[in-house]
Amino acid sequence: MATEPGINMEAKIDARENPFEPYLDALKKVLEDQDPIFMIGIVVSLAVVVITVVFLKYILSRKTVQSAVLLVGLCDSGKTLLFSRLLSGKFKKTQTSITDSSAPYKAKNERGSSWILIDLPGHDSLRPQYVEKFKSAARAMVFVVDSAIFQKEVRDVAEFLYFLLTDSVVSRNVPSLIVACNKQDITMAKSAKLIRQQLEKEMNTLRVTRSAALSAQDGSAGASVHLGKKGKDFEFSQLPMKVEFLECSARGSKGEDGEADIASLEKSLAKL
Amino acid sequence: MLDFFTIFSKGGIVLWCFQGTGVTESFTGPVNALIRSVILQERSGNNSYSHDALSLKYKLDNEFELVFVVGFQKILTLTYVDKFIDDVQLHFRDRYKNELEQKGALALLNSHFAFEDDFKMLLREAEESSKARGPTSMRSFNASLKSQKTVKSMIETKGGDKGKEQGGKKNKNAKKEGKGEKAKASTSAQKTEENGNQGLTQEEIIQKKREEFIRKRMGAPVEKPSKSPKPVKEKPKGKEKRVWTLGGSSTKELDYSQSNGNGAHAAGDQGLDAQADPVCAFLFKMFLSPKKGAFGGMFGMLKGLVGSKSLSQEDMEPVLDKMRDHLIAKNVAAEIASQLCDSVAKKLEGKVMGTFTTVASTVKGALQDSLVQILQPKRRVDILRDVLEARSQRRPFVITFCGVNGVGKSTNLAKISFWLIENGFTVLIAACDTFRAGAVEQLRTHQRRLNSLHPPQDHGGRPIVQLYEKGYGKDAAGIAMEAIAYARNQAFDVVLVDTAGRMQDNTPLMTALAKLIAVNMPDLVLFVGEALVGNEAVDQLVKFNQALADHSMSDKPRLIDGIVLTKFDTIDDKVGAAISMTYITGQPIVFVGTGQTYNDLRSLNARAVVGALMKA
Repeated sequence: MATEPGINMEAKIDARENPFEPYLDALKKVLEDQDPIFMIGIVVSLAVVVITVVFLKYILSRKTVQSAVLLVGLCDSGKTLLFSRLLSGKFKKTQTSITDSSAPYKAKNERGSSWILIDLPGHDSLRPQYVEKFKSAARAMVFVVDSAIFQKEVRDVAEFLYFLLTDSVVSRNVPSLIVACNKQDITMAKSAKLIRQQLEKEMNTLRVTRSAALSAQDGSAGASVHLGKKGKDFEFSQLPMKVEFLECSARGSKGEDGEADIASLEKSLAKL
Repeated sequence: MLDFFTIFSKGGIVLWCFQGTGVTESFTGPVNALIRSVILQERSGNNSYSHDALSLKYKLDNEFELVFVVGFQKILTLTYVDKFIDDVQLHFRDRYKNELEQKGALALLNSHFAFEDDFKMLLREAEESSKARGPTSMRSFNASLKSQKTVKSMIETKGGDKGKEQGGKKNKNAKKEGKGEKAKASTSAQKTEENGNQGLTQEEIIQKKREEFIRKRMGAPVEKPSKSPKPVKEKPKGKEKRVWTLGGSSTKELDYSQSNGNGAHAAGDQGLDAQADPVCAFLFKMFLSPKKGAFGGMFGMLKGLVGSKSLSQEDMEPVLDKMRDHLIAKNVAAEIASQLCDSVAKKLEGKVMGTFTTVASTVKGALQDSLVQILQPKRRVDILRDVLEARSQRRPFVITFCGVNGVGKSTNLAKISFWLIENGFTVLIAACDTFRAGAVEQLRTHQRRLNSLHPPQDHGGRPIVQLYEKGYGKDAAGIAMEAIAYARNQAFDVVLVDTAGRMQDNTPLMTALAKLIAVNMPDLVLFVGEALVGNEAVDQLVKFNQALADHSMSDKPRLIDGIVLTKFDTIDDKVGAAISMTYITGQPIVFVGTGQTYNDLRSLNARAVVGALMKA
């Protein structure tokens, strides 16, 4: 009876191999029928396709690595002059920008890290397109505010800041935000603390009005990201990203030939 | 004589500037105004702009992303400016090619452009060339044509040939005359060319035509014998052998096989590039090229396909024509479509295309960008926030609706008041349509329905919507003023003023509307226009704005602040009216009406509208 289990085992093994057997045999026959060179050709091309796909994925994923710092803000807030000062230290006359400018920037820290600084136009009709184009590549945003005429523009500043903060890509990537209160060389300029308080109050109101805004005509509603904590007044500390307020003056207190007063900005940029 | 000249990059950095002697004001303001109103609003079709007392001319260099602007006093008429800008542009490009070609803004920031000497030289040349043509003196009678004619020739006889004024005297003095005339003809032709912008006067046109006529005659009579002083009828000389310009006497000229090989190919390149798929075009050209001596041609073809081909006007012409027709088919007003296409052509001229991009795709992309840019609002549009602001200042927020007959003013007014009361604001409707039968009753029905949707019990016993009306036949401006005063007393948040529809040509009604707006100074003047309108939109908006500007007493008249686009559900994708309206006024579309119930109120999504517009 010892052979019985053997026979049973064999039968079982046979039964197990049996379902595969006919398929394997058929496959072997088909492969042997084909020209070997043809088979090699097929294998090579499959390998090439797989390698290309892997390669492309690697390259495409590399592009969305955030390596840029965006200079955003309203029109005439001093972004282009700040761009010039940060990169070359020189004072240049500027006009309203129509397109973006970008250049590599070496941060002033021990590591000597360098990333790309991009200056976006601030005009209302160009802003949304350029933000759309560059927002996924942003690792930090420098929001430039004109401190001298802030009181008149507070609603426009707050609306743009709200638009940036509630954007889906921005709330996903969480780039750090530096609010640079520019034009401090003018005597009527507001301090960073005051600007921060006013913006918090304004964003509070905007949360209500923006969520009540009409939906677009094709049915797509606006951003549904709620800023800060529900039920409590809005504060910048409630945001998931790092927010910093600082003062600077791109023109500098000594006029056009002197140095710009951007030490605090450079320090913050070095910390990125 | 120029006030200033600046060269700056499109990113905003000024590369070089020149300020005329004695000019103290900075030019930043006027140039910024130029950028905002012309370049950003896609009106760059004609290249001049006036701001206060200055007249600005500009030129875009799209290859290196530069803008050249020159400013001078409006009262001066300088004829050399156009050619001067072109010369300066070419000179600047050639001289600083290296710095400009580098990508990134570092090169622009770090290099110093010392262009003064070249600029002064070019300016001197331009001024001298304009002075060289001295004032042309009037001819004396003896030198004129009239003295050459005999009196008899000038008498018109019945059925006579008054055209054939070949006076004998004319023939004798013909040769002497011819040279003087020719010289004068060339200078005055030059003068008229230079004065292209100023326009030819009637006299100069007649003089020019006379000179051409004389020149033609001068060629012929040298051969003809001049016999008698009497007017001689010109005999037909008999059939002359016809000379074809392209036909040669020998067949050697018709042989294009060797040296012109590349030239023929270059011509072929242009045609294929513009239309065919680039890969197919490349293969097609490869098969067509002859084997020997065409390597240069082949490399030229390759170069033309793989980037570094700059766009010229001829390349873009067919594509732009097609796009213009497409836009017009989508209900964009005809003149707006052509202005838009001109502006896109100006923006793309000289631009270097990327690899494997066709002209059509570049032009379509640029047109799409400009359309989105036009539809983006140029100021913040947030009515609820502004109403809250007005409430904090304890005054009502006044919105006035105006438009032609039958566009949907009362319907959309009801929709907007529904939206406002949903957000908790109290609304007063002022029935200033005192003309159309049933207008007041219509608004009363809306008021009742809205109040039943939001009963007064929920809002502290006060009806959330009230109607202020004074019946029919009264003065609309007076009713509006009383309504606003009533709202202020009763602390209403918003006042919606409904006016009667009126045609834009109807002057007394336009005056009445302008008076209503000027007297009451509403916070928002909304023009209600239907999406079905075509070329009429341009006329309506222009005339409405004109009327509002003319009849207001102040120096800063209240114009149309926003547009309500109604009946949007009746058009599928022929959404061109949105473009026409925003282009003409520069104001945003605040509301879009998509139906007749209270919920059918939307805001505008620029990308969706442009997508529907560009869809084939």
